[in-house]
Amino acid sequence: MSDDPVVYVIDDDPAIRVSLESLLASVGYAVRTFASAEDFLAAEQADAPACLVLDVRLKGRSGLEFQRELARRGQSPPIVFVTGHGDVPMSVAAMKAGAVEFLTKPFRDQDLLDAVHEGIERHRREREQASAMGQILGLYETLSPRERQVAALVASGLMNKQVADRLGLSEVTVKVHRAQIMHKLQARTLADLIRITDRLGITLVQD
Amino acid sequence: MPSSSDQRLIATSLPSDTQLRVIFAVVVMLVVALAATAPYAGRPTDGTEIFLPAYAAAVLVIETTTAALLFATFRVQRSVSLLVLASGYLLSAALAVPWALTFPGVFSTLGFDQNLQATAWIAAARRIGFAAAVVGFALCDPRWTVRSPSRWISASVGGLVAGAGLVLWFALTVTPDLPAFMADARTTAPAWAYVPPLALLLYAVGMVVLLRGRRSTLDIWMSVALLSLFVEILLISYMGAAVRLSVGWWSGRFFGLVAAGTILLVLLAETTGSYARLVQVAINERRARRDRLTAMEALSASIAHEINQPLASMVTNANAGLRWLSRAEPQTGEAEAALKRIVDDGHRADKIVSGIRTMFLKGAQERVAVDLKCVIDEALGRSASERALAAVEVETVYPPEVKMVICNPIQLLQVVSNLIDNAVDAMKAGGGRVRRLTISIEDGEPGEVEAAFADTGPGVSPDIADRIFLPFVSTKPDGMGMGLMFCRSVIEAHGGRLWIAANAPTGAVFRFSLPASTVVEESNKVGVHP
Repeated sequence: MSDDPVVYVIDDDPAIRVSLESLLASVGYAVRTFASAEDFLAAEQADAPACLVLDVRLKGRSGLEFQRELARRGQSPPIVFVTGHGDVPMSVAAMKAGAVEFLTKPFRDQDLLDAVHEGIERHRREREQASAMGQILGLYETLSPRERQVAALVASGLMNKQVADRLGLSEVTVKVHRAQIMHKLQARTLADLIRITDRLGITLVQD
Repeated sequence: MPSSSDQRLIATSLPSDTQLRVIFAVVVMLVVALAATAPYAGRPTDGTEIFLPAYAAAVLVIETTTAALLFATFRVQRSVSLLVLASGYLLSAALAVPWALTFPGVFSTLGFDQNLQATAWIAAARRIGFAAAVVGFALCDPRWTVRSPSRWISASVGGLVAGAGLVLWFALTVTPDLPAFMADARTTAPAWAYVPPLALLLYAVGMVVLLRGRRSTLDIWMSVALLSLFVEILLISYMGAAVRLSVGWWSGRFFGLVAAGTILLVLLAETTGSYARLVQVAINERRARRDRLTAMEALSASIAHEINQPLASMVTNANAGLRWLSRAEPQTGEAEAALKRIVDDGHRADKIVSGIRTMFLKGAQERVAVDLKCVIDEALGRSASERALAAVEVETVYPPEVKMVICNPIQLLQVVSNLIDNAVDAMKAGGGRVRRLTISIEDGEPGEVEAAFADTGPGVSPDIADRIFLPFVSTKPDGMGMGLMFCRSVIEAHGGRLWIAANAPTGAVFRFSLPASTVVEESNKVGVHP
């Protein structure tokens, strides 16, 4: 997993492609350009925070349609739209569908760079969150079924004694389970535990 | 003054087969009525005076309505013959009222019927006056037009009301001293014997002139009207033994009324139909104009997009170049590449512009000598209906000699059409009382011909006048601001100039000059039809 951001540029006009590549490269971004949406999909995407600079009017299909398709695939880096003929309804649709920015050609370079920066940061956060989630899930899977039961009850705010009563265990056993849980989930305090179960969406299953 | 003839109005169109059938039916009805009533015509009918006010009221309504319709047609067509005819109807209508008021034994309480002669004198004035008006209508050349029809209408109506008053005064006060028309309340005196033949003579002359000319549907209908009056006089004065309120006297009037009513209905139907057709044509003209604008809109949008791409690329490249140079270690190689790309973008933009120019001004190089007057007349003909609806008068002031200019006729026609459309729009929007477009051709600088389009609209304020030829500057609510820009670029491409001045007391004058042609060709209509 690399941390060097990549900017993808998709525009059917070669002159625009080259000029954008140069501009983005001048501030140090790695840039990859594509003439069409198909070329972009066919290429292997780098495992790095990225941002997509997309012309609304692409050959053969609209940029907005492509935005929806990427969203369906669930692997879209944030999109910065550029257009030669932007109208308000189009920009509203793009922004509602999660675009970072909607710029009209010719745009101010700073606007584009800011938007690209924001897109990359957004993607970085998303990726971090996704990887943190994966980590937590991995830890949770090391818990035994009984430990999972105890964890859910503890997280719901019950005292050890109450947990013991519910599960028909002794209070001492519950305490042992609890220590195991805290250790395995790398939680130091009860608050940590609650946060983790919250993120995993674990709720108390009444039995 | 030349005026575009309009084939869609009753006063100019020729009758259709259906119309001819209706006309024939009316004529047959009149003749049959004459034959049927002739044997009983002399019988007196007592106590029928009470029908007289109803008859007079019907005559008044029918004749004033006919007059109004004819005045309205005159307003559009401005032909003097129509004005004469409308005046005849109005005079006849105006005199119907005093005729009934002075009729012996009808409005006795008012006391107007003391003078036995008054009614007969009014009747004589009515008959002869109307017959003279119809003959005048028949003899007038329909191409003889006036400039401001509204003023003529006001003058005619005023004159006729005064004339009717004069007749009334004459009939009431002077006539007792003149030879008597009436022996008593019912029977005529010997002097009356001159009136019916005179009327018959005028009717006959009118019918002959109208039927020989047969210029329009209206001519045919007017000859039917004259025939009905002819029959009426025959019944009243000869078969009815010139006795008032006899069967012949009444039937003559009744059939005359029916004929007049039929003619009014036909006129109404024709006028309404013509108006509907006129509106349709005007709508088509407007649609054609809108389509032209939409095409221009699409063209300008595509130009904007085409130019925008290299423009965006240039801006981005320039920014990239600056950023390469302002790095900690300036990258001159990258900056140079960016500059080269800017040059390429500039050339690309230029190629697009010149490509559009070639496409747009295709064939602009074909220059011929054209009579400017023909181009203006052609453009006027194309917007005739819309101008008629907007009640815009056009006055053309052409010099006696032919003014030839060197130009592309199609483009010049577009320029002239544009200037006329603008003037009409301005006057429609301005809501001024007088809507007159004056187009004149004048000598300009040596070797040049000038054309001026002066309207009476609200004019163009000085702060806009400076910019009005720039693209996207418009004073119209839905204007694109391309028309005048186009006009100026075309005129300048021809080596001429287009400018604006103020018209006095209100309005704007658009003026253009074009190089004059020294060749005066015989064929004036060189390819004005695209």
